[in-house]
Amino acid sequence: MEYINLFVKSIFVDNMVFAYFLGMCSYLAVSKNVKTATGLGAAVIFVLLCTLPINYLINGFLTNNPFGVDLGFLSLIIFIATIAAFTQIVEMVVEKFAPALYGQLGIYLPLIAVNCAILGGSLFMQQREFANVGEAATYALGSGLGWFLAIVCLAAIRERLQYSKVPAALKGIGITFITVGLMAMAFMTFMGISL
Amino acid sequence: MDAKIKETLLNPIFKGNPITVLVLGICSSLAVTVELKGALVMAVSVIIVTGLANLILSLLRNTIPNRVRIIVQLVVVAMLVILVDEILKAFAYPVEKQLSVYIGLIITNCIVMGRIEAFALGNKPFASLLDGLANGAGYGLILVIVAFFRELLGSGTLLGIRIIPESFYEAGYMNNGLVILPPMALILIGCIIWVQRSIQKDLQEK
Amino acid sequence: MNTNGNIYTVVYSAIIVVLVAAVLAFASSVLKPMQDANIKAETISQILAAAGIQDKDTPTTNEAILDKYSETVTEAFVVDLEGNVVKALDTKRENIELVDGLKAENTNIKNNAEVNLPVYKFNNGTTVIPVYGAGLWGPVWGYVAFKEDLKTIAGAYFDHASETPGLGAKIKDDPSFRALFQGKTADFQAEPAFAIVKGASAANEVDAITGATMTSKGLSAAIGTWFKAYAAYFAGNAAPVDEKHCCKQHEGCEEHANCEEHEGSEEHENCEHKDCCEQHKTVEE
Repeated sequence: MEYINLFVKSIFVDNMVFAYFLGMCSYLAVSKNVKTATGLGAAVIFVLLCTLPINYLINGFLTNNPFGVDLGFLSLIIFIATIAAFTQIVEMVVEKFAPALYGQLGIYLPLIAVNCAILGGSLFMQQREFANVGEAATYALGSGLGWFLAIVCLAAIRERLQYSKVPAALKGIGITFITVGLMAMAFMTFMGISL
Repeated sequence: MDAKIKETLLNPIFKGNPITVLVLGICSSLAVTVELKGALVMAVSVIIVTGLANLILSLLRNTIPNRVRIIVQLVVVAMLVILVDEILKAFAYPVEKQLSVYIGLIITNCIVMGRIEAFALGNKPFASLLDGLANGAGYGLILVIVAFFRELLGSGTLLGIRIIPESFYEAGYMNNGLVILPPMALILIGCIIWVQRSIQKDLQEK
Repeated sequence: MNTNGNIYTVVYSAIIVVLVAAVLAFASSVLKPMQDANIKAETISQILAAAGIQDKDTPTTNEAILDKYSETVTEAFVVDLEGNVVKALDTKRENIELVDGLKAENTNIKNNAEVNLPVYKFNNGTTVIPVYGAGLWGPVWGYVAFKEDLKTIAGAYFDHASETPGLGAKIKDDPSFRALFQGKTADFQAEPAFAIVKGASAANEVDAITGATMTSKGLSAAIGTWFKAYAAYFAGNAAPVDEKHCCKQHEGCEEHANCEEHEGSEEHENCEHKDCCEQHKTVEE
């Protein structure tokens, strides 16, 4: 039950984009059409799901005085190193063994290393002090799905926006910001949910 | 040379503003704009990090092996961010508590990495330092503008000091609770872009 | 020099990593004592605020907070779930001991494991205990001060990691929310002993914050859990109450008849423990 609650909450209530503005840069840049948005969203889910549990274990090890000292101050640098290394490895593996997939995902993978949703996931994991690695993984899957949902929705809206009459100065990025704001408002209605 | 320095310094503040024009660094910025104080500290932190990161990587630019370029950049930026975080924890604990994970997220702030890639790796240290500081300032400016409106309209205060007089509340004025919630930050930035692009027509997208 | 050779790359990376680690380790070791002092002073100032000794918003220094604490604290110790005092906490100025890691204790309480529940007693008669739980976004915690009878709440202070500003954050920012707790009484026989609800009516309820349902619920659950954990200690250590509280004398219902005599009398009506008297009556029946 705890897991289901955490899962649903991290998709809708604690949505990475709408509640925390995480991963905004690539969110705004790669949401022009639904197809690429789906690709990036899937990549984010995958990387979050893999790096967050790893970082959870590393964080547990570092703050538990491994060498007689609290190495907690290193956690941030290790998180980002894990994420960067992981995306690098994934990129190489995918390129080697699944060239077709690489063709589709390829350009988004390096982008993910600097996607704050990924690092944000690890930092929130640290702040919320999850009880075990299962919870951390559930949270990762939930927030990944939440991000996926958000970017696909926005991409769909932006495709339609092409045909709308928007004030000249608002065209492009301006109206996108306002759209995201309105979407975030809609997502706020999930706030009272608890299972 | 003077004109060039001026250009490096002023361009990122308005015409090439990292947030409203380049759309970089939105990630770690919006959530800290509920109160002016947090926004100011965040702005200063980002200015320091972008400035120093640009300086250090510009000094190292000819020695960095190309293959591990990104990792080296990340490590240097991460070091600076951790230092800022540790210093805040030691000297401005309440503010650090308020900003929580967003200080850590400066690492993935696209402005920092973006300016290193685009400027520091190809320019002399002094110019890079200026470019970093100016970009940080351009980012901070938007942060402060957004925070100004959100705190004023949302809480009726600025820097925690009551601005809207009690008599307004007695006459029926209410703080706008919506402004402090996340969505309004996005809409405010949308409006800032609108204003800026109405003034500078050449920035408009077709 | 070939900056793209394997050896160069490896050596370069190694040097950078070592340099960065050294800088960070140095900074961390220099700043750590200051950071710890800040965290400690922050915790103490929250305890003092709950006890009503020093307002949290008064600007002050870490030193002054520590001074104030060591001046006003009379006793600090740790109890377990059965209410036994496990060990004393040092209250001397140079070496103030607190129980940190409320998160861990919270887990222990829930698992019925061995716990270290801190109790801080002050010279204004208040007894302060912590509460800890999950709010909407992150943890919420705080301190609640009881009067000598260990039932009446003298004051409270709450804090949070990341509740919504202007809504959930009111548990910390809005003094009128904290003020609601003053004079309320926890009912340790009830489940929960104390609650934050919409439309509070009973003596052991306060009103929830409008628009912050989840934070209110979370804080309510935190208070319920921790009050229950302290129930055994409180039951065994409450100070005798003055005469006019007729019902309190008859706790345990031995002289319940006497209590009933009071019922209807003016004294009884004024007695703030009337409810508890009614309860005793039903128990005996």
